[in-house]
Amino acid sequence: MTSLEIKGAVAAVTTSVLILVATFTAGGIYRNYLERETEPGNKPLDAATLAAKGRTFFFQSCAHCHGQDADGGEDAPSLLKLQISGAHMALVIQSGIKDEMPSFAKKYNEQDTVAIVAYLKTLH
Amino acid sequence: MIPWDKLHGAMTHFPIALLMFSTACDFVSVAFKKLSFARGLRLVSFYGLAFAALASLGAVVSGIALTKGDMWGRGDFGWHHRFVWPAFGLLVALAVWRLVVRDAMSRTGLCLYLVLMLLASGFVAAAGYFGGELLLSGGGVP
Repeated sequence: MTSLEIKGAVAAVTTSVLILVATFTAGGIYRNYLERETEPGNKPLDAATLAAKGRTFFFQSCAHCHGQDADGGEDAPSLLKLQISGAHMALVIQSGIKDEMPSFAKKYNEQDTVAIVAYLKTLH
Repeated sequence: MIPWDKLHGAMTHFPIALLMFSTACDFVSVAFKKLSFARGLRLVSFYGLAFAALASLGAVVSGIALTKGDMWGRGDFGWHHRFVWPAFGLLVALAVWRLVVRDAMSRTGLCLYLVLMLLASGFVAAAGYFGGELLLSGGGVP
């Protein structure tokens, strides 16, 4: 390899590492910021209260298709032992699944969605 | 409210298509290096790679906003990220290297570059596949 190529490789690795570090740092800062924002009055509900609130929403909107015990219905899968992150669950609740599940973005705001996710996590 | 799901869905296709197109142009230009259009193909591949790297920034930013800063995750979401981050890093590195070296590549440099371009294309394809799986299983992009 020529000296120009080696210089290029050093510049490439340095830039790539810096951009990845900056990306992960920015992502972490953004996540922390959102977590602080979603705490009502900066005073987070305890996990049990949050899950109880989520359970109420679950029975209002989810149990009809996913079953009272969240173990699945005729047209909807079981929600027990979900292998996806809380952020992913929230995304599905907010956005829905095309032709399969409606979006609940208008019905449940971000804090309500967090409560539903908290309840779903207790189903493990 | 910004529709990050739609933006991410739209933005991710630019780096995927441009990187693969750039890789294809590189391989064709090497295979037919004696033909007149080989030089033009190398130029096209250079700009394709540069724009793929730029477009990947938009795809990554919209993805971070969409996932609310969840950089890893589990299941398909986790697999999507396991391929996205190496693809992103490699894409940026290749673009910077190509920007510095341009066409002044040695035989070893060219071989290494082509192998890494194939690897980056593979990572991007895998990330796209798991992104698609997320979409079908409820990733949120309508």
